[in-house]
Amino acid sequence: MSDTHPEMHERWILQTELLWAFGVGVFIAATLSMILFTALKMSVNPPSNVERIDPKTLHLAGEFAEHNLGTTVGGDGSVTVRAIATQFMFLPRCIAVPANRLITLRFASPDVIHGLLITGTNVNTMVLPGFVAQVHTEFTRTGDLLMPCHEYCGLGHSEMWATVQVLPDSEFKPGPGGRVSCAQR
Amino acid sequence: MQSDQPSSTALPREVADDVDEATLARVMRTVPLGAAVLAGSAVALLVAGYLLIYILVFIPRGTVG
Repeated sequence: MSDTHPEMHERWILQTELLWAFGVGVFIAATLSMILFTALKMSVNPPSNVERIDPKTLHLAGEFAEHNLGTTVGGDGSVTVRAIATQFMFLPRCIAVPANRLITLRFASPDVIHGLLITGTNVNTMVLPGFVAQVHTEFTRTGDLLMPCHEYCGLGHSEMWATVQVLPDSEFKPGPGGRVSCAQR
Repeated sequence: MQSDQPSSTALPREVADDVDEATLARVMRTVPLGAAVLAGSAVALLVAGYLLIYILVFIPRGTVG
């Protein structure tokens, strides 16, 4: 670089900018690689499910009728949780799930837009009337987790929450029809 | 201009210093470097914060999809 020659100064600025662009390029490539790695190897993906359901009749018959709500273990050992998010509660209010097993959570709303998250996990979704919100996850720690509604749904929104009881395999015992309820403690 | 409104250059402190080209070149050699260091540090802090939250909070919270 020269103190006097403007062309040299221009070249130095260009070199600096190229170095900066290289650094940004490395960061973008590293971020994309990390996202791809966690998506392909660790199954960390944004929950995406487009499945319609009639909000006016979902509680009368079918998958989200009252007798179907809660945790069910299928014949193949798959664990599915079905719950309704409604003003201003989750049905059921306590959900029992096993630790260290892949679980499918399915939610529907008969009234307004709700949302939910399960504390300490990456489970986080909105529940829109007319659609089934579905999330796959695996709970790695046992214990009671809070599941509040996180989408303002009306005056009772702050009272709308449920408990997710993560049980060790020894305590997760399906009853008749593969149903599992929260352990009474 | 009316006589009761003196030029701003009437005050010596309002008058720019003479620019010496060599001095300007010397200053311009370090000032952009300082800007690059400042911008680099700020971006590095942001990236470090993002990576720490991603690796120490998001990933340990487990699989989701």
